[in-house]
Amino acid sequence: MKGKRFLTVVGVLFLALTFAALPFISACAPAPTAPTAPTAPKPEDQPLKLGMTICMTGPAAEKGSPMGHGKLDCIKYINAELGGVNGHPIIADWYDNGYDTAKQVTLVKKLMDDGALFFTNNDSKTMQASIEIANSAGFAGIASFSSPICTNPPKHIYAQMPDYGDDWAAFANYYMANIWKGEGKPKMALELLNNTTGYGARDAATCLADSLGIQIVDVEEHTTTTISEMDAMTRIKALKPDVLFISSTPAPTAVVIKNAYDLGMYPGIVIGCAHASYTKALVDIAGAKVTEGVYGVFPTVNWGDNVPGMAKMTEYCQKLHAKDYGNMDYITSWAEALIDAEILRLALENSGYDVLAKGDATAWAAVEKNGIQKLDYDVQGLHGPVKYTPGDNRLDKSVRVFQVVNGVITPVTGWVDAPRIPYEKFPDKFPWAVAK
Amino acid sequence: MGLPCGIHNYTYDEDMAIIRTKTHWALLIGLFVLLFTCPLYLSNYWLSVTNLIGITIIAAIGLNILTGYCGQLSIGHAGFIAVGAFTAAVLTSVFKLPFLVALICSGLMAGFVGLIFGIPSLRVKGFYLAIATIAAQFIIMWVINHLKITGGFLGIAVPHASIGGFVFRSEASQFYLIITIAILCTFFAKNLARTQVGRAFVAVRDNDLAAEVMGVNLFYYKLLAFFIGCFLAGIAGSLLAQWTGFVTTEQFSIGESILYIGMIIIGGLGTALGPILGVIFIRLLQQVLTTILLPLVEAAFPALPAGFASGINPILFGGIIVLFLILEPRGIAHRWMLFKAAYRLWPFSY
Repeated sequence: MKGKRFLTVVGVLFLALTFAALPFISACAPAPTAPTAPTAPKPEDQPLKLGMTICMTGPAAEKGSPMGHGKLDCIKYINAELGGVNGHPIIADWYDNGYDTAKQVTLVKKLMDDGALFFTNNDSKTMQASIEIANSAGFAGIASFSSPICTNPPKHIYAQMPDYGDDWAAFANYYMANIWKGEGKPKMALELLNNTTGYGARDAATCLADSLGIQIVDVEEHTTTTISEMDAMTRIKALKPDVLFISSTPAPTAVVIKNAYDLGMYPGIVIGCAHASYTKALVDIAGAKVTEGVYGVFPTVNWGDNVPGMAKMTEYCQKLHAKDYGNMDYITSWAEALIDAEILRLALENSGYDVLAKGDATAWAAVEKNGIQKLDYDVQGLHGPVKYTPGDNRLDKSVRVFQVVNGVITPVTGWVDAPRIPYEKFPDKFPWAVAK
Repeated sequence: MGLPCGIHNYTYDEDMAIIRTKTHWALLIGLFVLLFTCPLYLSNYWLSVTNLIGITIIAAIGLNILTGYCGQLSIGHAGFIAVGAFTAAVLTSVFKLPFLVALICSGLMAGFVGLIFGIPSLRVKGFYLAIATIAAQFIIMWVINHLKITGGFLGIAVPHASIGGFVFRSEASQFYLIITIAILCTFFAKNLARTQVGRAFVAVRDNDLAAEVMGVNLFYYKLLAFFIGCFLAGIAGSLLAQWTGFVTTEQFSIGESILYIGMIIIGGLGTALGPILGVIFIRLLQQVLTTILLPLVEAAFPALPAGFASGINPILFGGIIVLFLILEPRGIAHRWMLFKAAYRLWPFSY
């Protein structure tokens, strides 16, 4: 009771003192000044709010963290060295979604409430959870890594880069034009991770293999934790394929390639990889000898490539997040922030700040119509040029084909087209792609 | 129930009534007024958080019946929620059935799936049953991922709920739908605990051998607990599906299942109020750390590299939960009971 009485006395005293001090506090307020003529606000006082959800933590933090660093560093660079967008600073209104879809749903609503002009996101999983909200509100979103369901049928969600299905299409095109010299149809086997990363390639092959003149002889699946694919590779070997395409992450891809090597299949056939696995980690895990000559596609340039945007990105990365240097995901999201700034510039010039300042459905529509859909930008060479094409919400539509040469991932082409896959032509297989 | 001085129970009905005094009625009506006027003063964001809390409460009530009352540890609850979500998605999106039909079917489907995975509960309990329910989580996900009708790994779009031509499109309308169902589920759970079934659940939980000796049919009541718990999970899944508008299996991870266990433990196992308080605590903590604390810390140190504070979020989230369990292992509901007891006597110390 003594404690309770003491707390009561302290509480009453605190309230009494607060009331007693009010006149003194109000006396300290600045004296009213004579009204002055209104002046036009400066651009630096008129920020542009860009919404971002990033999986900085959670199960996908290994990708989300460098991606978050890349885009936030780039916004810092744009504001500090380029003076923002036409003098208007960009406010990065960002939240960590923790790779949690339920949280993502609430965060997209928060970004809409905050008056963000559009939003960006790293991954296909949480973007899929945002599709309905964004599409019904007309609140445009851009996903760095996406799945076909995000952009088909095309509405208000855009993809920064080609998806895993597009990887297959680009590689298949390249293979038919530059590698295949035999008679008739080449035989291709697919070794796929059992999620959207793998199934994107399978769906693309379902749509396009016939028209490209490729015969799919086998589709095998594996898990992210696989330690041996000998069974599957033995089945594939018996079918004598000309080419093996792997769409997976680095560790399982290394297992598949090592198994092919041990079975004497490789060298002897062509191996192509989708972009989720085709990084330096693959060569490190499988070894330079085993991976020598393996092809792969990737949608950005390499660190150290001679492109206009490389120097500044490298400088900021080494200054602010040195441990991310060498990580391609940092490049991806740095490039995404450059695209975001370009979208804001176009929207600003075509719609005016007053419209954007509303931060509501009018502003969202203006950004989409006069920003995103007017894009024609080279992204300082960091990845393929971005341009909106009606009916195709992928902004960048190209990848580069690489090959492991002397243990180093080396580009063998410039930007090659990753054509849009007409999923809607197969409504029985891909009902989600059909506009309702 | 503790009653104010001078109020006595003269009949069995009076003894069993949940609401006994005018103060109880006033508080309940006040709570409903406060709750149902939320859309007038909450932003879309906070309404969406409230909706998420409402859906989570329904699922947590189901788990509390299964684990809290009946003592059957389930670490596959997110899997049963997924069954409800995908059932609703398929019925409304593919077969174009009305929302209410899909809602009930989702509950029933999840309940029946729960029955299948509840069968081992007669033979195994404790950690062994937990492992069996983890298996349920993985089997359910595998099946959903490999069914064409569910959209497989890509998932499936779900239309918003509609009743009698009215589409619950806005966050405010969603709020009324979700909160109404959450209130009904809470009322059901509160009453279930006071029935013969509820008491049989508690008997099974406290000592299943003694319960069987007393004539409680273990197999029946354990399966009934699985059915009811998973039925509510299915209802929650159905609401979640139409609220988000899109479902994929990645939304229902094993981590979610463990979080649900955490919610009912933090709230207070085996109490009607526990799941509600636990869900509010966890969901608000997630949002406050993400949307308020993290931006504040980042803004306080603009000279540091962006994103430096992101690690604070999981550390604090885990830390607060651990601290809470150390300081109040019997859950928030117990703390609330202590507060009520102290408040009833205040300012007198006896």
